[in-house]
Amino acid sequence: MYLPDVEFHDATTVAEATELMARFAPDARYLAGGTDLLVDLKTGRDKVGHLIAIGRIDALRGVAADASGLRIGALVTAAELAASPVVRERFAPLLDAVRELAAPQIRNMATIGGNITSAVPSADMPPILIAMRASVALQSPTGERFIPLESYFLGPRVSIRAADEIVTALLVPQPPSGFGAAYARFAHRRANSCAVAGVAAGLQLNADGTIGDARVVLGAVAPTPLLAATVRAYLIGRSPDNESFGEAGRLAAAAAAPITDVRGTADFRREIVTVLTRRALAAASQRAKETTS
Amino acid sequence: MSVTRTLTVNGRKYTVAFDDGETLLDLLRNRLGLTGTKKGCNLGDCGACTVLIDNKPMNACLLLARDMEGRAITTIEGLAVDGALSPVQKAFVENGGIQCGFCTSGMVLTTTALLRENPSPTDDEIKTALSGNLCRCTGYTGILRSVRQAAGMTKESDAAHEDTPSFGDRFSTVGSSPTRVDAVDKVTGRAQYTADITLPGTIHGKILGSPIAHGIIKRIDTSKARALEGVLAVITGADVPDILYGVSPARYDEYVLAKDRVRYVGDQVAAVAAIDERTAEMACALIEVEYEELPAVFDPFSALAEGAPQLHDRYERNINTHISHHFGDVERGFGDSFLVREEKFTGNHVHQAPLEPCASIAKWDADGTLVLYTSTQVPHYVQYMMAHVLEMPLGKIRIMRPTVGGGFGGKAETTPLDLCASLLSRKTGRPVKMVFSREEMFRHGRGRHKQHMNFRLGVDRDGKIRAFDSEIYLDGGAYTSFGVATAYYAGSMIPTLYHIPNYRYEGYRVMTNKPACGAMRGHGVPQPRFAFECLLTMMADELGIDPVEIRRRNAMDPNTITVNDLDIGSCEFRATLDKVAEKTNWNEKYGRLPRGKGIGIGCGGFVSGAGYSIYRGQVQLSHEKGRAPFEKRSIFPHANAIVHISEDGTAAVLLIGAAEIGQGSDTVLTQMCAEALGIPPSRVRIRSEDSDISGLDLGAYSSRVTLMGGHAVARAGRDVVAKMMPYAAKLLECEASEVSVRDAKMYVTSDPSRSVPWEEVARQYFNDTGPLVGTGWYKPPDGLGGDYKGATVGTSPAFSFGSAVCEVTVDMETGQVTLDRFTDYHDCGTPINPRGVHGQVEGAVIMGASETILEETQFDNKGRILNPDFHSYQIMTIRDAPEIFSGLVDSYEPRGPFGAKEIGEGSTLPVLGAVAHAIANATGVWVTDLPITPERILAAMRQKKR
Repeated sequence: MYLPDVEFHDATTVAEATELMARFAPDARYLAGGTDLLVDLKTGRDKVGHLIAIGRIDALRGVAADASGLRIGALVTAAELAASPVVRERFAPLLDAVRELAAPQIRNMATIGGNITSAVPSADMPPILIAMRASVALQSPTGERFIPLESYFLGPRVSIRAADEIVTALLVPQPPSGFGAAYARFAHRRANSCAVAGVAAGLQLNADGTIGDARVVLGAVAPTPLLAATVRAYLIGRSPDNESFGEAGRLAAAAAAPITDVRGTADFRREIVTVLTRRALAAASQRAKETTS
Repeated sequence: MSVTRTLTVNGRKYTVAFDDGETLLDLLRNRLGLTGTKKGCNLGDCGACTVLIDNKPMNACLLLARDMEGRAITTIEGLAVDGALSPVQKAFVENGGIQCGFCTSGMVLTTTALLRENPSPTDDEIKTALSGNLCRCTGYTGILRSVRQAAGMTKESDAAHEDTPSFGDRFSTVGSSPTRVDAVDKVTGRAQYTADITLPGTIHGKILGSPIAHGIIKRIDTSKARALEGVLAVITGADVPDILYGVSPARYDEYVLAKDRVRYVGDQVAAVAAIDERTAEMACALIEVEYEELPAVFDPFSALAEGAPQLHDRYERNINTHISHHFGDVERGFGDSFLVREEKFTGNHVHQAPLEPCASIAKWDADGTLVLYTSTQVPHYVQYMMAHVLEMPLGKIRIMRPTVGGGFGGKAETTPLDLCASLLSRKTGRPVKMVFSREEMFRHGRGRHKQHMNFRLGVDRDGKIRAFDSEIYLDGGAYTSFGVATAYYAGSMIPTLYHIPNYRYEGYRVMTNKPACGAMRGHGVPQPRFAFECLLTMMADELGIDPVEIRRRNAMDPNTITVNDLDIGSCEFRATLDKVAEKTNWNEKYGRLPRGKGIGIGCGGFVSGAGYSIYRGQVQLSHEKGRAPFEKRSIFPHANAIVHISEDGTAAVLLIGAAEIGQGSDTVLTQMCAEALGIPPSRVRIRSEDSDISGLDLGAYSSRVTLMGGHAVARAGRDVVAKMMPYAAKLLECEASEVSVRDAKMYVTSDPSRSVPWEEVARQYFNDTGPLVGTGWYKPPDGLGGDYKGATVGTSPAFSFGSAVCEVTVDMETGQVTLDRFTDYHDCGTPINPRGVHGQVEGAVIMGASETILEETQFDNKGRILNPDFHSYQIMTIRDAPEIFSGLVDSYEPRGPFGAKEIGEGSTLPVLGAVAHAIANATGVWVTDLPITPERILAAMRQKKR
């Protein structure tokens, strides 16, 4: 229940961090909030020889917004994001997830970058960020690239991030008029409880009230957050009503590839996804309508 | 690697060197001596280690000390200024926000941060802010009340949440709710739990557990562990006594460390002592053990099957205990019944999960006395078991019980930590401290038995019970522990609540390759009680009789000998039924709520102390290994108290071995002692932590302390008063028989204006006679119980009774249950401290509800626990907790001190059935397996549709 012997490296710039990582990978991890990593190291779930502390890299801090959208520095904590006025005003659907993430103490430590880069299937931030078309900024000694977040994850705790890259920020475009998003999660307990399933929905409504685009993202029911293509195909052009949302829920359940674990069976997760999808879509639709009225 | 940093803690700068990977928690506790910050899980799940970093609550177990330079760190020790409590601390002290105290530091700090940011939070905001701080004792009710008070909200009337009968001026302090005697120590972080104590020269121990569920140890090589720098001793099965130990004397079946065979994942194989805990842990990993793996069994039915692997040679077919009880004639009873219904129910394997993990420190004094500090509910039984295993006289063993952070039955037996620390200390000549991690707590087990129950109940046309037949298989795990008693309790308590003229119980406790199960709050009874309550309600519904009414018709009456020979004295069970029905508007609600809304009733009660001690005969000397024949009386007193009055007469020191484990026994014993002495409780100081200065007390189990300890302290108090009487009479110039005592005065009964200060009389006594000391002891009445095998289990001087109504909302699409409201009424006799009683009820409601809908220890197919942490083994948070109304009915138990009975365990028993019924009422389907998860609710609804 103690940290094993590891070598610590303190990076103060992004360049330093990526250099260190390039040198020690795969025997190294970036250490930010530590709320996942330290648990994994203490319990022996993860073993590593080097920790690259990035907590003092100022370039990774801060929530900033302009007309085009929101930039969330990788080191922004869940609590900071939840308290950000611009998030409350213009990106409120993020609050559905960030306010329910773990417990208050953890939210004061855990970073948004960590919630993404841990690539844990049950993480709460990826589904809503994907539904809102977020992309992830990756920097390496040779340059910077921006990847749609849905393409970032490859499997449980595995991502496309290269050994010499670091996630510097999450970028969320300014939602256009007629767009609404929401995140619905199910957990056994009302706080401090991993999602059994989580569904985010992003809905773009046409001027005539029909659905122009729909991004339904399923969390905790597949090796990675799952952007459900069949749901999108089905919903486009339909009216945002209970009937179509109900069918969308059934399609989402069919798209899910859940496992059975301590939190629930695969069948139960599918059943829950049906309900959460309908509820997330209904909430997203309500919010979309509010932006146009 | 070592690093040096300057940290600012509570406004003070500390320049300190520490290991690079050290957490802030370990640094605060081990290097700065700030032990008010607690280690409850070490993985960020429980909040006991909450500290403020720049006024934000964070888990110190997940912060690295190396990152803390330049941050303002506040611990619990930093809140009180010049000894004056902060407003938040004061509010927790005054509003029942503290029981065991282990969560208190974190709760208080989180609250402090919340109120700095948001001085007038809503209840919802309070609950959100505190949702990362787990509490296992209070049911969060007292905590919520404390935070509201700290936020300066207007004092709510207690009547909104509580109903306590009035006593007029029958008593002075009994029946009132003075502040807990330990509250200030707990709210300031001063209270010392075992792991907080560091004796000079302390070294640290760890135990290596088996990685496999069943196997023979072929070879152990400890050479690499011994060679590790900082390791001082390594012991294996070869180094421990060839003496079996356990709880039930007829079934001692554990060695301190496995001699040749392991029977569950975690079974103790070796132990290490080293300069620090981390080194001991690393050394354990270096011990090489070669096993020959044996086939294992993980459920009682496979274990019973022909050809199943046998865990112990002595338990044929893996049957640890078989109980066959038949009272009256059940078949005839069923023949007389109008309706007979048979149902199967399954319980769950849950854990007590006290926030404080087990811990021990052992040292040997120069004269050969073993001094053992241990987090225990039962100091005497630990002393007894140490004497047994180490072959020493009891008199050479001194048990210290520091502050205990909750027990609930999980600390009711001698632990491997007690034994290994003692052996390692003897070997190294240094004090050895050993603390279980949260994972080790789960792996060591001793949780609640999972029971497989097949029940058949017969009732007549009016719903009167004619016969009850039950068959129960208890999944025992690998060793006996308390299991024999558990299996008996599972059957014996059923006939105490309702009149059951014909009763049969077949019980089997079966060994499986899992951690041993033991005693947990309500010992053996909650699951059968849940099942019985469900079945009774099902049949009431079937007959068209209101479920409350069917209970009234069958309810136990006072002064009844039950069918299994238990002697019921006071009993106001019907009054509790009437009260909960009235308070909840039951008649307007039951059967009239919309789909998804439910209301349910459950009832239960418990013993107020076991009628007999766990071992027979007299207090055993080390050479008396044989078992004394059973006699139907207590050979020795179960509780003993000494009251010593200070020479100036201003203070009474109460010496008693009763274990304060957070339930509040120090406070109620102080009150009862004060009542008997005729002085205010503020003049009584209790010392209950040291076996050297107090007499034997059997401990905090079977809800015995208030009744048995209460009698002992009241008698000791009266003994003092009796000694003072002649002196008072002399000073008052009257006969001793004319003197009364109350409110620190001794006075002439017929003319209270003729009085003399209490302390003056005490001084006179001392001047003439020397020390003013009173003693008192308590033995349960002789002859308790019937004359059949197992008749002792369930006997008690008195029984409690209670009814609970639960109201829920069920999400009909996800199966998620929201507990809206709980209403509980209890017959606990005289409530010595009503706030303490309500606190026990509130805690029991949340613990009981949590095990009904959330908790289950899960295993993989190799016998490994899948959720040995508070992340996946989920106990309720403050956001899951419902509003609770706790009421008490007027009752007086002639066999209890001042009329008191128990509350701690009896309050758990109605809860499970009430929750289950409320869910059934909301959904139209019964879930008969615990826990009643959303998944099971949806499955049952689907089943019904088909």
